[in-house]
Amino acid sequence: MAILRLTVNDRAIECEVSPRRSLADFLREDLRLTGTHVGCEHGVCGACTVLVDGQTARSCLLLAVQLEDARVTTIEGLTPPDGLSPVQRAFHECHALQCGFCTPGMIVVAHELLAGNPAPTREEIRAAIGANLCMCTGYVNIVRAIEAAAAQTRA
Amino acid sequence: MTPWVGRAVPRKEDARLTTGRGAYLDDLSRPGLLHAAMLRSPHAHARVVAIDTSAAERLPGVLAVLTGTEAAAVSQPIRPLIPTAVPLRDWCLAADRVRFAGEPVAAVAAVDRATAEDALENIRVVYEPLPAVLDPEEAIRSSAPLLYPELGTNVLWHDVLTYGDVDAAFARADGVLRERFEIQRYASTPLETFGAIAEHDPGLDQFTFWTNDQRPGLTLAILADSLGVPQSRLRLICPDIGGAFGNKRRPAYLLVCALLARKARRPVKYVEDRRENLTALMHACNGVMDVELAYTKDGTVLGLSVRDIADEGKNLVSPAQHNLIKLGNIANGYRIGAIRYEPYAVLTNKCPSGANRGIGKPFMCFAVERAMALLARRLGIDPAELRLRNYVGPEQMPYTTPTGSQYDSGDYPATLRRVLERFDYAGRRAEQARARTEGRLLGIGIATSVEPAGTNLASYELVTGRRAASGSAEAAMVRVEPDGEVRASLGDPASGQGYETVVAQIVADELGTTPERVHVERGFDSGATPWLYLSGNYSNKFSVTDVGAVIGAARKVRDKLLRIAAHRLEAAVDDLELVDGEARIRGVPGRGLALRELARTAYADVLGLPPGEEPGLEARHIHQNPLAEPIGAGRRVRSQLVFSNAAHCCLVEVDRGSGHVRILAHVVVHDCGRELNPLIVEGMVHGSTVHGMGAALLEEFRYDDGGQLMTATFMDYLKPTALDVPDIEVDRLESPSPFTPLGSKGVGEGGAIPGPAAVANAVEDALAPFGVTVRALPITPERVWRWLSRV
Repeated sequence: MAILRLTVNDRAIECEVSPRRSLADFLREDLRLTGTHVGCEHGVCGACTVLVDGQTARSCLLLAVQLEDARVTTIEGLTPPDGLSPVQRAFHECHALQCGFCTPGMIVVAHELLAGNPAPTREEIRAAIGANLCMCTGYVNIVRAIEAAAAQTRA
Repeated sequence: MTPWVGRAVPRKEDARLTTGRGAYLDDLSRPGLLHAAMLRSPHAHARVVAIDTSAAERLPGVLAVLTGTEAAAVSQPIRPLIPTAVPLRDWCLAADRVRFAGEPVAAVAAVDRATAEDALENIRVVYEPLPAVLDPEEAIRSSAPLLYPELGTNVLWHDVLTYGDVDAAFARADGVLRERFEIQRYASTPLETFGAIAEHDPGLDQFTFWTNDQRPGLTLAILADSLGVPQSRLRLICPDIGGAFGNKRRPAYLLVCALLARKARRPVKYVEDRRENLTALMHACNGVMDVELAYTKDGTVLGLSVRDIADEGKNLVSPAQHNLIKLGNIANGYRIGAIRYEPYAVLTNKCPSGANRGIGKPFMCFAVERAMALLARRLGIDPAELRLRNYVGPEQMPYTTPTGSQYDSGDYPATLRRVLERFDYAGRRAEQARARTEGRLLGIGIATSVEPAGTNLASYELVTGRRAASGSAEAAMVRVEPDGEVRASLGDPASGQGYETVVAQIVADELGTTPERVHVERGFDSGATPWLYLSGNYSNKFSVTDVGAVIGAARKVRDKLLRIAAHRLEAAVDDLELVDGEARIRGVPGRGLALRELARTAYADVLGLPPGEEPGLEARHIHQNPLAEPIGAGRRVRSQLVFSNAAHCCLVEVDRGSGHVRILAHVVVHDCGRELNPLIVEGMVHGSTVHGMGAALLEEFRYDDGGQLMTATFMDYLKPTALDVPDIEVDRLESPSPFTPLGSKGVGEGGAIPGPAAVANAVEDALAPFGVTVRALPITPERVWRWLSRV
């Protein structure tokens, strides 16, 4: 076991972790942050996307021990104490989710995109979510939702 | 008041699912939970000679190991949905023989998944490899290796079904179009994989299961039979389900968890990893269809003859299901008076086939719509015009097809005309001609479809010769709680369809309240939800059968509320209405009795009830759809109940250099009767259409000659991404079904049915200068490049 110190959703954490524990399993099993989903465990589907020091990362492809001193933000950390973030509200209003399994990863990607580009084009939105799989929506409403969230955030 | 049904209400589910507060199977835990892993066969076909688990059992952290031999000793074989002629015994783990690469032979329960997987490496299995058969046509031959020697064949169903005078139709035809089409193995691959937790209470000898199984009614029957535990001591709970599409079922895995849990005396969880999901859960049948279409010079289709070989892999649970469903859809939307169907359901050494969005209909539609495209080309008739000449007309509804399907409502010509208009068919044809002069390869594809909803299991009698299950039914509960708030539950666990929202809309209308005040239970719980054997999320049945159950239960509660209110207000029931959360004299707002007050009477002040009225405000209802009937004369069967329809227009561009196909535009006009929630309906159309695009261009479970799956990761098994698909444009017609409680029809399978055909027709149209005929999917760049290079 290794000692790991990091910040998750603005909370400082120090704990023992097995060197072979993935970040996804660490978040889900050890911290019970089950909003981060595991869809493929080989880095393709994007369901497990979290922010590491502000940038998206696939938590299934990282080992928890690699995150020493890092700041990790999960869907739980992007959710306001009351209600929904503008991105979450746009996903709701535009019906950008069905089963909801890909949704946390999509929302994390949308937050990263809008943080760096407050007025993305449709093509830029499609490129940003182009490595996140959704098996339900055909992506149409996800693109609309991120457009709507961008417009609302700018307003 | 405007009804809630029909409004584009954003979903109730989203509050938890957008914030990471959903509860999917793998999010659940139990005290003392163990994690299971399965050892899977590396061979496509082999005899299991010996298995030694002693080293695995000695590994620290391992609590229980189970082999196929032990499973066969302590449990019963899995009961098939469609039994074979000779009963075949198939346990939850392979005992003496493995029949596909990836079939589980042993399982381990350990303190965590990693330890369980370590233990698998310590299990020694001696296999004696056997010749494998992978091609279904080869599997039919008498010389083929047999999966089950006791059966004497790999063919589980072969028949010739004839409806109308097929020979006469072909004799008087001006011509016959003969073509062979193939479909690959693919699947909807829900983003959440399949799994289960089993917990055993040794004191009561009682099992509780948590699982994302989408058909709990049937699964409970299998679990009881195999475990030898009565259904009264089984409980099955479905949490949030991360997509299903037919794929989410494997009772064997629940049994493995149950046997391990009983042995280890601790709860056991098993969740597939993606490789296991792609290798071993469920594929749509691949297959081959030989199609003959008899036609007259003016393009009238007189007869259709289809020889259809469905590759079931090692599917003992539901073989022939793809064939049966195709039979119900064989005529598509056309008046075809004479039909011959020769089905084969064939076992091969591949992953079990099973339900996948549309079950068989995508291939049936692909074959018929490809044949129509080829016929249009042969006769020099525009493909849209050819279809208009053959459609069942709106004045013919309800129309019964030769095989016994009943098309209940819809205007197929108007649907096609609308899509041509929305697509700007004439304008795009001109654009295509211009592009061709510039050397660009643009193609336009049309495909139209019928989409049935609600199944009638009586159709299985065509295969087995006897009736076991039949009809279509679902159960629901509605209850006004003692505080006046409303709660409902349904025997059909949702997997993304937004039932919590739609059921709340329906109940709100019936009880005169709002969807926010109707709490709909998540998922399913056999200990609390009303259910029956037929309960589950399958065959597009929500709009046809489930809605009836919800309305039935809500109306029982509504009638009781009105009786209690009439008694208390000293008024006649007929003079009362339920609106704005109260029962009141019609047109006299503000002086009625609120739900909360009526609930107080029903639950607390029971002396205030009308004489003879039972206390409480809870009702259950099971709706049986009346359209389901036993098999009729001439083996005609209504295997499904009501029919939606759709027309797709697709514009593609083929890159000459790379062979890459890009979908530039895709327009869908569909008609699913009355739309209960247009927001949800449109989402279904988008998603199902993209499933069709994936099957058309990307997805294939490809096996090598030895039976190893070559596309066992999402790096190799390609799903459509946001960069592969266009903004799909959707328009609709609304032809309510006269045969469903609210006029709604199915929409869940939607574009998955005509999508592959629309894209294929567009690619073939783009490649018309090269004389290419698209006979198989997916249309990969390699395939296109070979066509263009004539390699």
